[in-house]
Amino acid sequence: MRIEKDQMLSYFEWLIFNFGLLQGAIVAVALSLLGFVVCYLVSMARYGPSEAFFHVTRVIYELLARDLPGTSIRRVYALARLAFQEAIRRRVLVIMAVFIAVLLFAGWFLDPAADNIAQLYISFVMTGTSYLILLLGLFLSCFSIPADMKSKTIQTITTKPVRSTEIVLGRIFGFTAVGTVLLVSMGVLSYVFVIRGIEHRHESGDIASDGMSGETSYDASHAHSFEMSGDEGTTDEQKGHRHLVTRTGDGQYVIGSPEGLLNARIPVYGRLAFTDRGGNPGIGLNVGYEDEYQKYIEGTSLMSAIWTFSNVQPSRFGGGDTLPIEMSLQAFRTLKGDIVTGVQGAIILKHTNGRVESERIPFIVKEFSVDQKEIPRKLSGSRDGEPVELDIFDDIVDEDGKLEIHVRCTDPGQYLGMSAADLYLRAGDSTFGWNMFKGFLGIWMQMFLIICLGVMFSTFLSGPVAMVATMTCLVLGFFGSLAFDVATGDTPGGGPIESLIRIPTQQGAMVDLDLGNPVLEKTIKIVDNGIMYTLFSVFKAIPSFGQFNTSDYVAYGFDIFSGLVARHLTMTIAYFILTSVIAYFFLKTREIAAA
Amino acid sequence: MSASAAVETESQPSIDVDSDVVIETRNLGKIYRDFWGRKKVAALKSLDIEVKKGEIFGLLGPNGSGKSTTIKLIQGLLFPTSGRAFVFGKDARDVTKNERIGYLPEESYLYKFLNAEETLDFYARLFDMPAGERKERSDRLIRMVGLHQARRRQLREYSKGMTRRIGLAQALVNEPDLLILDEPTTGMDPIGSREMKDLIIKLRDEGKTILLCSHQLADVQDVCDRVAILHQGELRELGRVDSLLKVRDVTEVHATGISDETKEKIAELIRNDGGQVVSMDNPTTTMEELFLDIVQDNRPGSRPTAN
Repeated sequence: MRIEKDQMLSYFEWLIFNFGLLQGAIVAVALSLLGFVVCYLVSMARYGPSEAFFHVTRVIYELLARDLPGTSIRRVYALARLAFQEAIRRRVLVIMAVFIAVLLFAGWFLDPAADNIAQLYISFVMTGTSYLILLLGLFLSCFSIPADMKSKTIQTITTKPVRSTEIVLGRIFGFTAVGTVLLVSMGVLSYVFVIRGIEHRHESGDIASDGMSGETSYDASHAHSFEMSGDEGTTDEQKGHRHLVTRTGDGQYVIGSPEGLLNARIPVYGRLAFTDRGGNPGIGLNVGYEDEYQKYIEGTSLMSAIWTFSNVQPSRFGGGDTLPIEMSLQAFRTLKGDIVTGVQGAIILKHTNGRVESERIPFIVKEFSVDQKEIPRKLSGSRDGEPVELDIFDDIVDEDGKLEIHVRCTDPGQYLGMSAADLYLRAGDSTFGWNMFKGFLGIWMQMFLIICLGVMFSTFLSGPVAMVATMTCLVLGFFGSLAFDVATGDTPGGGPIESLIRIPTQQGAMVDLDLGNPVLEKTIKIVDNGIMYTLFSVFKAIPSFGQFNTSDYVAYGFDIFSGLVARHLTMTIAYFILTSVIAYFFLKTREIAAA
Repeated sequence: MSASAAVETESQPSIDVDSDVVIETRNLGKIYRDFWGRKKVAALKSLDIEVKKGEIFGLLGPNGSGKSTTIKLIQGLLFPTSGRAFVFGKDARDVTKNERIGYLPEESYLYKFLNAEETLDFYARLFDMPAGERKERSDRLIRMVGLHQARRRQLREYSKGMTRRIGLAQALVNEPDLLILDEPTTGMDPIGSREMKDLIIKLRDEGKTILLCSHQLADVQDVCDRVAILHQGELRELGRVDSLLKVRDVTEVHATGISDETKEKIAELIRNDGGQVVSMDNPTTTMEELFLDIVQDNRPGSRPTAN
């Protein structure tokens, strides 16, 4: 799992720089203008230029002056309740039966010998839930209004004092309520499934003659060894977990439930900077095709990666007996070296004034897993070059609560790669259940967005067409990163037309297009830019569903930080408003009885 | 004949209750177009009518004459191509006018998965009614339309006549001032049909205005105060039913207890006076009267239900 750079922004940083004031406002204004122009053109074709202006402005006036203030909660509730009853009586609960059946037979397909069984189970239930719920949202939302139009039941509703706003909101809320009920049930079942799935017990196996160490029985495809101190002890870590071992009065060893499988680590991220080979501020090395923000440092040089953490207080780290650090760094080898040991590095804790620093804490990089280090509070180090005993929180953390952690590569000729999220301080744990709830909230938001889109499309398209349109948004939202890269021009090879010429003429993507006709080349580029800009706007307007999927956080044991949830909620509300307004305009200007 | 040229054939004031105009259409026209905006059919051509408070106004015409189109334009379910329609002085597209309207569509377009109680409760909620009032009204209306024994059955199990009844109940749930009924007696048996007509007259007597459209001529004749006859989207006739139907050069005499001799004397008198006896016979009753005499005690509400 990778934490992307923009996911580390705090809510307000994101709101101001990535969404609210810039993007959101621009998108809102642009869409409003575009919507007005399109409505005016359609209306003009029907009524002529001056009448059209009157019609369009009247709809806007009615929304703001009449329909929005006149919207009644009781009517919205009545319509939502109707949508709920409709869905239930159309037997959507069958979805629940499918889910239960999937869980019942899941055991046949999930490998009990997997290295991280919790991760496997969590990914499985969350993926299963999200597919079922999104499909449900898709079918519920796209077919309801068209079915009402076809059966003309909507005529009995629109001849009551019902506003178009109420019809749209009623549908959205009703279907969301159905989805929520199902999602909550699936969530509870999933939780039970995961908890029961990882539960296993060992018996005590061979015990050493002094009774202070031993081995457990081989169960669930593994066995542990354990050490006792007094009547209590712990096993070693196997497949991501340990067990507590207790010795009872009659000399029996009891091995407890697995611990450490269901985590919700709360990471404290820092800002990452690099020094160059001369030890001066610089940027890290790029060793080839890598994510733009992943950089490397060279072994046995003065290059280092420097994380600066803020607000480092003992109270945030369970009293501060140790400073827990977790890291997952990459290694890049230029020579085979000691392939068994792995690439080595060192951690140094430093005061921001550079005069106080800890001794080097060596480590061997564990690629593709999380390396946990507990740095003791008291450790040796130096002040102005003089060796002293230091206390991390009293001596190394500065008066503003800032702490620098330097990482160096100590293996000559090898490189260590890192991005800002790859090393963090672990500030305790949130509870797994709460984290799973936040993961399911992500699925809920995706479902809500699908329902909003489905209802919006169904106000002017027939059921099947609305479904295809919603599905297109879903697919683009989930898998549209390539299309988005084409639209932004990040993918080499130019725009759609240029690429289309490059394929049959077998021109490489990295060289300039050469057709022997500069005017033609220029024209193609201009047209391509136009297409790309249009694509860009369209893709920007489609919610990127992938972003809302936080199941990886749950599966890999990271707490879904509240800033991320707040950000997703903000986007959900923004899309809800946008789709509702569009749906309102289509419904308001549609002849209900003409269908 | 264009609508604007339609002549009011009545000689008296159109209605004696009140002269307030409830529905007014001005030059109302509707052209249906296809997807590309090409004209398909002119369903209604410049209609000018006024429906006044407290009258039963009938829209009469064969299939495809523009009756339903007119009703839909008046309710804002369709948008006019030309002209405008006003209800209670408000534009037809203003939803707030619906507070005072009850509408029974051609076929009762109701949610089949709801039962009678849920249906009325749902539509009452759409009028923003509090719970107590909803309960009281739906109880009263279910009883009134004779469905109290089937109140818990889903509408999908209802017969066509029962569906019309619950449709009527939902149209009355807000105690409307204007009732718009599209083919109100379709699918009803003679008893139901008679009850419906009696109810329409009773509602009129309570001061409500009723606009109904039908091609059941007998229904229109029985209940309507005024009618507009539409044909191919044009208004062909507009006026009071009694004056429209009056055959001015024929005189009808109803008498009982006279002998054949007296009849002959009357005929003789007419002939002597220069008149012509067209027919002199015993009147026949209508099939509806005959049927109602036979089955008068067997109302559908009293029939035990399946459950």
